[in-house]
Amino acid sequence: MAAPCRRMASRSLLQFLSCFSRTAVGNAGFRQFSSTSVCRATLMTQSVTARARSPWTLMAAVCLQRFPVISADCTPIEQQFRQMMRQMELEKSLLSDHELRLLEDAERMSRKQADDYDSDEDDDLGDQEIVLAQDLEDSWEQKLKSFQPTPRVTADTDEDLTSLERCLADSLFLLAEQQVGEGKLWLLPQTRWQDGETLRQTAERALASLPAAGLKATFLGNAPCGVYKYKLPKAARTESTVGTKVFFFKAVLSDSGPPAAPNAPLLWAKKSELQRYLKPSYMMAVDRFILGL
Amino acid sequence: MSAALSRCLCRVLSRQTAPSSRSSFYSFLLGEHHHAVQSPWFAPVRTLKTSAPLRAEPKKKKKVDPRREQMLKERMRKKLKKLEKVAPEFIPIEDLITPAKCLDETRERSAPRLSFEESEGRALLLKEWCRYKQEQHMAEVQAVELSLEAQREALEELKLESEELYQAALKPDPLLFPFTHDGPVYTPPKSKYEAPDGKYNNITKVYTQ
Repeated sequence: MAAPCRRMASRSLLQFLSCFSRTAVGNAGFRQFSSTSVCRATLMTQSVTARARSPWTLMAAVCLQRFPVISADCTPIEQQFRQMMRQMELEKSLLSDHELRLLEDAERMSRKQADDYDSDEDDDLGDQEIVLAQDLEDSWEQKLKSFQPTPRVTADTDEDLTSLERCLADSLFLLAEQQVGEGKLWLLPQTRWQDGETLRQTAERALASLPAAGLKATFLGNAPCGVYKYKLPKAARTESTVGTKVFFFKAVLSDSGPPAAPNAPLLWAKKSELQRYLKPSYMMAVDRFILGL
Repeated sequence: MSAALSRCLCRVLSRQTAPSSRSSFYSFLLGEHHHAVQSPWFAPVRTLKTSAPLRAEPKKKKKVDPRREQMLKERMRKKLKKLEKVAPEFIPIEDLITPAKCLDETRERSAPRLSFEESEGRALLLKEWCRYKQEQHMAEVQAVELSLEAQREALEELKLESEELYQAALKPDPLLFPFTHDGPVYTPPKSKYEAPDGKYNNITKVYTQ
């Protein structure tokens, strides 16, 4: 805890000196300037040494999620329950205007067909006699048939892992193949943290550096949602670096923009498919905050 | 009183001067007129309506009248205020008023008779549904708790790393809210779909208090 205290103290000293230099005029200001630059140099070295003391390299990754576009299919019990509820509600309800009209028309038809029918007895309804309720129903059905909705399930697009239109009923997560150490691995897009930026800005940079242009996302808050730390193999370990800590940030896709080039090392995977691509220990860390709901 | 007096005087004078000629009567009047300037009691007929005592009479009620009128006006104002203090009428909540259509008896459906198997089946399905929904809810709650735990651990690790980044991570994001997202629909959106033009008459009732 000594490191941060010292850093805070030097920062306040710097602030004091900088305000002093602003108010001073002429030669006096010149002298203060040199002293502040000296102070700033010491501050930089101190911050570098403070960071360097921690043996972990920091990286930030983005967990970009596309929410489902269509509602999921019902499970068998849900279908059964839905049917039963519809039946029960129909039994408990009252007759609607349309149903009453249907009954009246049917009754009138039967009276007309009877032998002793006196047309003068009937009420003058006018339009209702010309256009029966049944005719209205038929015309409505015709209109419905003339409208062709987009099919819900498209087996072809589901196979294509790089397309954003696959599996519209589930949420998809973006995976990228990136160089880690020696080899390439499939993982959530990540990049190394640089001095002077917050981790969220690092994650935004990671998203922007991907070959897919135009991916617009809303980051959900400044705090990371998960962490994955791993130690480098003993051969690669030095005094300063023992391992890496990767902080994950959640983001929601708002606009996909133009489709990426087909050879881009990106893919959109459901939660169940993540296991195929991610390493087991990585998968365990990521599984916790990726909600499969 | 003085008017009656002057009338009497006039009659007396006229009786006395009846046999005499008109000119003398006029001269008598004129003569009296000269006298009228000096004394108000012997005023001629012409000046009766405009004589001093007659002019002076209405001026008596000057002080009392305005006050009385003011009192009347104040009382009227107070009464109006009391009437206006009535609480304004409540705007009726139309959802809570059963429309008259629903109380119509001709609209009742004939209640169907359910067989024993069917009613049993419905009861069993309801119980199964209850169990299914409970499992779903428990799974949701567990998932949320897991993700919260993961976030807590991440923040701990970050704190061990650097205090600055930890403080920056704890800051709330003012640009995030209001956040909206359209929920899932039944069929995917059609590209280049032209919705048909429609017109509607808005008949919602607007109440003012």
